[in-house]
Amino acid sequence: MKKYLKFILAGVFVLFQLSLYGQSMTDLRLNELLIVNTDDYQDDFGEHSGWFEIFNTGYGTVDIGGCYLSNDPENLKKYTIPRRDILTRIKPRQHILFWADNKPYRGSFHVNFTLAESSMLILTSSDGSTILDMVSLPLDLKPNESYGRLVDGEGSYGTGSDNTGWGVLSRTSPSTNNHSLDGKSRSERMKETDPFGWIMAVMAMSVVFLSLVMLFLVFKGTGNIALRWSQKKADAYHKNKTKKISLAETSGETFAAISMALHLYANETEVHDIENTILTIEQVRRNYSPWSSKFHSMRKPPEMRKKLDR
Amino acid sequence: MDQILNNLQQFWEYTGFANATYQHILMICIGIIFITMAIVKEWEPLLLIPIGFGMIIGNIPLFAGLNVGIYEEGSVLNILYNGVQKGWYPPLIFLGIGAMTDFSSLISNPKLLLIGAAAQFGIFAAYAISLSLGFEPSAAGAIGIIGGADGPTAIFLSSRLAPDLMGAIAISAYSYMALVPVIQPPIMRLLTTKKERLIRMKPPRVVSRMEKIVFPIVGLLLTTFIVPSGLPLLGMLFFGNLLKESGVTRRLAETARGPLVDIVTILIGLTVGCSTQADKFLQLNSILIFGLGALSFIVATSAGVLFVKFMNLFLKQGNKINPLIGNSGVSAVPDSARVSENVGLSYDRSNHLLMHAMGPNVAGVIGSAVAAGILLGFLS
Repeated sequence: MKKYLKFILAGVFVLFQLSLYGQSMTDLRLNELLIVNTDDYQDDFGEHSGWFEIFNTGYGTVDIGGCYLSNDPENLKKYTIPRRDILTRIKPRQHILFWADNKPYRGSFHVNFTLAESSMLILTSSDGSTILDMVSLPLDLKPNESYGRLVDGEGSYGTGSDNTGWGVLSRTSPSTNNHSLDGKSRSERMKETDPFGWIMAVMAMSVVFLSLVMLFLVFKGTGNIALRWSQKKADAYHKNKTKKISLAETSGETFAAISMALHLYANETEVHDIENTILTIEQVRRNYSPWSSKFHSMRKPPEMRKKLDR
Repeated sequence: MDQILNNLQQFWEYTGFANATYQHILMICIGIIFITMAIVKEWEPLLLIPIGFGMIIGNIPLFAGLNVGIYEEGSVLNILYNGVQKGWYPPLIFLGIGAMTDFSSLISNPKLLLIGAAAQFGIFAAYAISLSLGFEPSAAGAIGIIGGADGPTAIFLSSRLAPDLMGAIAISAYSYMALVPVIQPPIMRLLTTKKERLIRMKPPRVVSRMEKIVFPIVGLLLTTFIVPSGLPLLGMLFFGNLLKESGVTRRLAETARGPLVDIVTILIGLTVGCSTQADKFLQLNSILIFGLGALSFIVATSAGVLFVKFMNLFLKQGNKINPLIGNSGVSAVPDSARVSENVGLSYDRSNHLLMHAMGPNVAGVIGSAVAAGILLGFLS
């Protein structure tokens, strides 16, 4: 069993590692790209260049520093995203934009290739080998048109990604959502659909009841099983006796009374209250210690000088 | 001389006397009333004293910009208030509640769980009425939770759904929890007959250790799979209970139900009290919230009592439930159970209902956390 336990623990450890990994970099998706930019957004240097966007689908911040970008499947490490740049931290459900202008000296977000010369775009993890996402670039994309996920983060991703969920977008949207939401909060939608709150009341009460009814059913069942087990033990103990007891009928108070009686019996010496009235004086013994010794006193007592010494 | 007078004038402008308004004085008086109620009447002293004193601290008239007020970012009080704003004090209190709660009475008679569910009706009735009074659904949900009679849950939910109303909601929830012995008995008497009040319930059976250990695990799985948004509260509640019942983590359980819960209670009470700054608190909405909270509480108590009467229609003689434990479905632990006991004893001196009432009482804790999860799921 110990041998197997090792394997089980190792498996759990590996799974735990995978799940930790799964909560971070694997949340990243290539989300939108524009290959030929003549009239779209400009970069910080006032230039029109191709660009692409990465989206963090998770609900935790992901640092993309140390990951790689490439347009060449044979060279996944073509561009290393600099580490320790605070701007490479992508907040939950947020985007980050890279300029594909082949001018990496202009900053962390300018890669060393262009999309016009590429057939695909690949995002690789910081281990240099795990492809987090990839997309085949469309050949027929017009200038200033962007190609992206129709709903942010949705669709195929990873090594074998086949561009499912991607399409030509009606407008370019660098660093913002590709798919616009209607902007209404759940609370506002609830106000429209249920202005008096009765639907909510009925629905929520049903869920509360459902939760507690399920608990009731489970504990009704486990209670019966527990009782049956205890009864079996009690019956086995009393098999030679004529009268059997029913544990289901016996209250906790009965057991508490029996326990108290047993406790008092077993600790008979503790129940003699009268002993508390007897005063016992132990032998007083003063232990020797240099700290209490007059001989070893730390302070020398003052001495009077004799008159003759003057 | 002029310089000295100018300095004194400036100093006077800094003082609370110069900045005081009648609202500040009113709130300080309310704080003193809370402290008096706690000391003289002994109504929830563990909560009312920190809250009452917090109200005094929060309403000391301040010169703006001193960076000491609770709403001034980076001040000491503001840092302590983070636990309320971000909602991490309530789960810690639930951890302590779990570690101090004995679920045996509920496990031995699981049908009492249903009473805890029925009493949550107050929450949703108050939600519907709040909507009709013009509150937004998220604010209505936060106000409704007062009927759950669970301070930490009310703070947790209002911090997410209606942060602006949190002070009023928290004060209202804790006030009504303190007033459980005053509010509930008349409703219980009104809705029950003398014959019903004398019902004797079967003593609870013994619950094995295995059942007690299984309860938090199964309870967590069942409730959070249905309402995942209740995870912070339910997770901590059941975790605390497992620490208690496992029998091998005594030190952790003692810390959770002792020093930890005491520390968090001090901080939550004080900072919630401080958050009632006159300019934020003294508004028409706060009065409405107090009214709706009372209504929610009354409906919750009534629903619990009436539901027991309804259950009794289907139960055999000998298995019937005393409807005086129906009020315990609101989760003010253990005050509402104590009310059941006291009202029961006033009609039959030998009919002890406390252990029976603890069943719906702890079910109410679970029920209100589930209800909070539902409101959070639908309205956040």
